[in-house]
Amino acid sequence: MPAIDQVTDSVFRDTITRAVHDVFKTMFSLPAVLIDQPEPPAPETGDPEQRVLIDGQLVVGTVGFIGDISGLIYLYMSAGFANHLSGHLLGMSPEELDEAGDEVVNDAVGEITNMTVGTFKNQLCDQGFSCKLTIPSILRGSNFSIAPITSATRRIYRFQIAEHVLVADLLMKQGD
Amino acid sequence: MRYKILTVDDSKTVRIIVKKAFKTYDCEIIEAANGVEGLATAAKENPDVILLDVTMPVMDGVEMLTKLKSDPALKAIPVIMLTAEGGRDNVLKIAKIGVRDYIVKPFKEDLLVEKVGRIIDLKPISEGDHAKTKSIFDPATILVVEDKPAILQQIQEGIKHTPWKIAGVTATGEAIDYCSKTPPDLIVVSLSLPDDAAFTLFRLLRTNVKTKYTPIFGLVVKTDLAVQQQAQQVGFSAIVTKPIEVQDLEAKIAKAMNLDTSQRYFATADNIFIMRLPENTSPAALVEVANYLKPKTAEAVDSGIYRAVIDLHELKRFDMTIIKLLFNTMQVFRELALQYVLVGNAQIVTECKGFEDTKGWQFFDSLDDAKTHLAKGAPALASAT
Repeated sequence: MPAIDQVTDSVFRDTITRAVHDVFKTMFSLPAVLIDQPEPPAPETGDPEQRVLIDGQLVVGTVGFIGDISGLIYLYMSAGFANHLSGHLLGMSPEELDEAGDEVVNDAVGEITNMTVGTFKNQLCDQGFSCKLTIPSILRGSNFSIAPITSATRRIYRFQIAEHVLVADLLMKQGD
Repeated sequence: MRYKILTVDDSKTVRIIVKKAFKTYDCEIIEAANGVEGLATAAKENPDVILLDVTMPVMDGVEMLTKLKSDPALKAIPVIMLTAEGGRDNVLKIAKIGVRDYIVKPFKEDLLVEKVGRIIDLKPISEGDHAKTKSIFDPATILVVEDKPAILQQIQEGIKHTPWKIAGVTATGEAIDYCSKTPPDLIVVSLSLPDDAAFTLFRLLRTNVKTKYTPIFGLVVKTDLAVQQQAQQVGFSAIVTKPIEVQDLEAKIAKAMNLDTSQRYFATADNIFIMRLPENTSPAALVEVANYLKPKTAEAVDSGIYRAVIDLHELKRFDMTIIKLLFNTMQVFRELALQYVLVGNAQIVTECKGFEDTKGWQFFDSLDDAKTHLAKGAPALASAT
């Protein structure tokens, strides 16, 4: 099994890009395009959370993976995009979705995150990093950011999907 | 007996997607949110197939699968894993416990239906007990697989008066693509496509869950009896011969799609029941009218109608078979105490005078005149003995 620090940034980038693309192409017939990554801000002045932010109400899905490689992936999207995706998945109109409430959207976003992280980690499994998925959880709110623990390596990728933006925030830690 | 599919997934979203995928098939979807519920439901409902997630709270899919396979009463139930948990080693490990198939999320609903269709005989809902009978006035799509544009044009031209949409493709590959995107209501395949392609296509369509029960017609030159026989032997629903007789094709399509054709001959307008015979009333049409006559008349009487018109103004052919049907119609009307009158054209009126039994019949020139007459509450003009 290769060591985690031997896996290059480009492998992580390609792996998450393929995962997001596969999920959105298969489930929604929407292409997902990785937006050019801005230069990471200098540590002493930079604010990495700025690269995550999406305006307005946010829905964030998170699923972890545990094993030879452990980590968490957060998928950030606007509440509007979350509703749009949920309606498509469930075959529900915006009115039906409103009536059904946030729980239904949360569950759909949880499943989208589960599929995306699953596709990501399955590629890592095939490269020798055996790991298993955790159960999805959801955060909702606005103007919040998630600060990782210091031992985790953080990588942030932004994707353009139709007129919406999806942010994948990868936090990786070497397994025990 | 309806097939039962048990979906075991903690995500309600996935369970809804599963329901959506099978909504056009005659089967029942049962749900469970974790392995414990899944085992209990499997024992109670005895499903025909189980769709099983891996990562779930309370009891995960691997544990449920292990318990299921060690239970003599449940171990024969086929299981398809439907999970985001992929990766070669994981799949192999789970497959060893005993699964029929493995679908890694994300997945297309079509793929799910196809894999389940390999285990149970999925029938479209229209084949089931709750089907609403389609009529000849309902839209339908007919796929014609024919490499000769002139033939396709003839078919399009011939049935352009119907609400049926004709989609033409020239090769079997295109036909398969078309069917996987939008399964048609009926398929017509030229049996003269090169390399026996029509027979290969037939086999492929019959193994696809979406077209397994779709009527498939073979299109062949009238004199090519050997190919006609071969097509009948492999199970083509009907043979249409070239040159194409449009009426024959239309009748075969209606029959194969089990369409209600009664509206061609029976209608209700202004609280009056109308039985009409079209211009070219063929022997097959007479049989159809005779079959619908009693139930349709009873239906009209049941809804409170007590007046009727026998409308022959379009009719161009008049012979003993038609006379027999008309006598039968009048008899049914009288039994149900319907007042009725006749509408005819000049030719029919003249021909009626030439037969002993019909020379006393009197006709109105138009449906409007007949309706006006009936509205006045006048007695029946026609009599039959």
